[in-house]
Amino acid sequence: MVAEQLIEDIRTSRPGVEVKEVPYQQRGYWFDLSAGPEDIEEVARLFDRHGYYIEDVCCVDFKEYLQLVYHFNHWDDPRRVSVRVNLPAEEPVVPSISGVYEGAGWHEREIHEFFGVHFENHPNLSYLFLHEGIDFYPLRKEKVPVPEERKRLLSSLPVSESDDVFFVNMGPQHPSTHGVLRLILKMDGEYIERAEPVLGYLHRMQEKMAENRTYLKYLPNASRLDYVGAMSYNLCYVRAVERLCGIEAPPRAEYVRVIAVELNRIASHLLWLGTYLLDLGAFTPFLYAFDDREQILDLLEGITGSRLTYCYCRFGGLYNDVDEDFIEGVKAFLKRMWKRFKIYNDLVTGNVIFIHRTKDIGVIPKEIARRYGVTGPNLRASGVGYDLRKAEPYGAYRELGVEVATGEKGDALDRYLVRLQEMENSLRVIERAIKELPNGSYRVEVRKLKPPEGDVYFAVEGPRGEVGVYIVSDGSTTPYRLKWRSPSFSNLTCFPEISRGVLIADAVSILGSLDLVIPEMDR
Amino acid sequence: MIEKPKEVIKGAWSLILGMAVTIKAFFSPVVTCQYPRETLRISPRFRGHIKLVEDEETGRPKCIACGVCARSCPSESIKEVEGEKREGEKRKTVTKFILDFTTCSQCGICVETCPQGAITFSADYNLAGFSREDFYFDLVEEFYRRKERGVESR
Amino acid sequence: MRVLRKAFGDDLVRIGFGLVGTGFVALLVLLLLGLLGMKVWKLFAPYGREAIRAIVGLVGVLGFVLFNALLLVWAERKVAGHMQRRLGPKEVGPYGLLQSIADSLKLLGKEILTPRFVDRPLYYLAPIIVFIPVLVAFVVIPFDARLQVRDINVGIVLILAFSSLNVIAILLAGWSSMNKYSLIGGIRSVSQNIAYEIPLLLSLLPVILLAGSLSLKEIVEAQSKVWFVFYQPIAFIIYFICAVAETNRTPFDLPEAESELVAGFHTEYSGMRFAMFFLAEFTNVFIVSAIATTFFLGGYKGPVLPGIIWFFLKAYLLVFIIMWFRWTFPRVRFDQLLNFSWKFLIPLALANLIVTGWCLKL
Repeated sequence: MVAEQLIEDIRTSRPGVEVKEVPYQQRGYWFDLSAGPEDIEEVARLFDRHGYYIEDVCCVDFKEYLQLVYHFNHWDDPRRVSVRVNLPAEEPVVPSISGVYEGAGWHEREIHEFFGVHFENHPNLSYLFLHEGIDFYPLRKEKVPVPEERKRLLSSLPVSESDDVFFVNMGPQHPSTHGVLRLILKMDGEYIERAEPVLGYLHRMQEKMAENRTYLKYLPNASRLDYVGAMSYNLCYVRAVERLCGIEAPPRAEYVRVIAVELNRIASHLLWLGTYLLDLGAFTPFLYAFDDREQILDLLEGITGSRLTYCYCRFGGLYNDVDEDFIEGVKAFLKRMWKRFKIYNDLVTGNVIFIHRTKDIGVIPKEIARRYGVTGPNLRASGVGYDLRKAEPYGAYRELGVEVATGEKGDALDRYLVRLQEMENSLRVIERAIKELPNGSYRVEVRKLKPPEGDVYFAVEGPRGEVGVYIVSDGSTTPYRLKWRSPSFSNLTCFPEISRGVLIADAVSILGSLDLVIPEMDR
Repeated sequence: MIEKPKEVIKGAWSLILGMAVTIKAFFSPVVTCQYPRETLRISPRFRGHIKLVEDEETGRPKCIACGVCARSCPSESIKEVEGEKREGEKRKTVTKFILDFTTCSQCGICVETCPQGAITFSADYNLAGFSREDFYFDLVEEFYRRKERGVESR
Repeated sequence: MRVLRKAFGDDLVRIGFGLVGTGFVALLVLLLLGLLGMKVWKLFAPYGREAIRAIVGLVGVLGFVLFNALLLVWAERKVAGHMQRRLGPKEVGPYGLLQSIADSLKLLGKEILTPRFVDRPLYYLAPIIVFIPVLVAFVVIPFDARLQVRDINVGIVLILAFSSLNVIAILLAGWSSMNKYSLIGGIRSVSQNIAYEIPLLLSLLPVILLAGSLSLKEIVEAQSKVWFVFYQPIAFIIYFICAVAETNRTPFDLPEAESELVAGFHTEYSGMRFAMFFLAEFTNVFIVSAIATTFFLGGYKGPVLPGIIWFFLKAYLLVFIIMWFRWTFPRVRFDQLLNFSWKFLIPLALANLIVTGWCLKL
């Protein structure tokens, strides 16, 4: 429906753009557009007019040319469309689409510092992750130095204009930024005029590491990207490679994967609950949440052996099978967890102080969410019932189904309520999965993994939003390019917009309610 | 802020409900484990560092020093795997197996790819040392030490 | 000497030695005069028992303040632990009772840093001034029918007047630290304190009207039949809220909040100077609870047990409730805090006062 209308419009206004339909089961997207650099702005405007949101912007270095890949998706018509733009390797210049999709602004900054692509008309093309003094482009296949005239872009901060405003650093070491995130706040008295996040304190070059390791050897790295919701990343990577190679895991493995991922989702939301309330000043819910989380971690330790970074899903199934202990443990946990929600509701949800701290704070309207690429509970709290487990079902979600929790206004209180509701929905999914757990083998033997040439995109619904991986393979045993679409990165892009004119105490509350985990942002 | 009396009462009642939760927790037993005076049960699938598996017939490790584990480790934590061929046997027997535990990420790829099934995870969780070299384990020595003492962990 | 200087800081050591030295010289002079034959004790005759009573009372109060601070530090951690389903301190001494002593020894051993650019006189003065209202308040609180250091007939006015000194101490601490964030924390604390002193006063006035006197002893005696909390429940609640706000405890502890930018007005203080602020806060908690018991819960009045035991039971029950608040509620945002006081508590307290006065007149 929407996709066909979009393609009609593109064909009429920009006939030079090629449109191809691709098999979804192999590639993960439905339509593949190839545009030139001069078409991309108009194409982006057409996407915007039809209501698409920006998912990811990625760049691949094919030695003779660079290829920019834009992924777009739609809430009502969840068929992914990707747009490719080929650029010459010596002078890669392309107009920026951040005038249309502001969320692409940060992606373009990242591509600029890692690949050297220059985006015209970008409002602030300065370094995002890397430090000043890097004089080559790291993710290129060969070492390409930074040309002289671009070196002035290495400095990332503009100088202050008047004396009435002053800068406050919510520094990298801060109890409530949940990791090493630095926020430079331009303050006007007690109110924030502009917030400028500075990233890169936890950058580990995960994407470059992927190019030097085989698919099997990269498995432990995937979990360490977001150690709080590690199971989703593990699952996403394994499913992407399975899609690329055409491997199907047996049904029992899919069901157990779903159970493990939902348990991990509850654990991640509990951690978020504890730390959010710790930011707001209540010390006890943190410990109650960790008590519950401990039960989940013990369960997952019983099957996977690890408590935080799981390396459980393997290509073709699981590492080992589940036993009766686990199933009994899960049933006991479910019974206990249903009673614990009363504690959280009594202690936190109805509490008048908490409501005053979170009501009408940090409202994310739907349009902003769409243009910045916000996904996950943040998006659902704004009233959009978009959940990848329902829109693009994968694994056992096709049979199990899932209930989607939505809010109304999009303020911090709605985000809190949506996450609480999501925990309950996860409990229901686990109940159904345990009841219908099929017997059978837990693994399909995969001896030699040799993926065909091509690219694949796979996205799952992680606790924070849409976790996606884009793998380009050239037929060898190591990936040619691996790009992670991390939800915290896209969620943080809207923070400067929604935090204009708020008090600092509210900024802390907004940051906490967005549920950011910095390692997956910095990769 | 000037609020209606009903909202004030509702607000005050919500505070009292919250206080009821904490006071109930005050009189409940603690949920923490007083380590090191008590220890918790470790599940059998716990991923400690790897150890060699005993071959029932010969009483020696099953490992044949083929080196597949060392080649498939993503962090290159398995440093040296050497073996010798004894008299009258077809395969090698391992004599030295150095694991650098400081870089191991407990992914289990070595356990999976071993053709003999000679490696498995141990249940050691309270390791401590004063220098980095304390964590270069020689698994063959450990194997014989464990057998001698008849204990499960080091 | 060097150890003392390192532990307490130059300024405190100087003042301490000054006092001790003056006392010593005074004793020497008296001794000399006595040896010379002058009947020195006649100097004390008119004061006699009162002087001894004053000295014993002061020594008792100082001892009690220190003991109370130690006890409350331990109790806070234990209460926090059990509310969070864990044990608090348990290693040092049975049930962790010696934990406070271990903490004090640690604080004594810390290096006392004086940052270079602070305003020295004010910086040294602040921890001392913060302790004065605390000691003064103890002079007038009736622990039992005859256990009161001095029964001044404007007792409550004394306490309230001296607790305003608290505000000055905090302001001095914040200002002299020459630190943007300490200043912000100090100013917030000052405006919070001022905003909540008014409803505090207004909620104590109905009780004074009921008892007909400003002296604390008389107020307790007036509750022989019925405690005032049954006549004035709203005043009790307002007083309690203001008490929690005055002592800068959660939910009103924004000036000390860690998850904001600032660590409050006592950021730049380390070691024993920090301990003074800390001790003053805990003793303040006890004092406001003690005032609440004398005004609303009947002070030392109670059936079987001796009065002092009732007094401590009631006061420590209120202290427990203050701790209970801390571990349950999140923080109130600063402008909401001020709004709550100016727009809600003050009109309510005024209305309560007017209704009380009218009822008494009728």
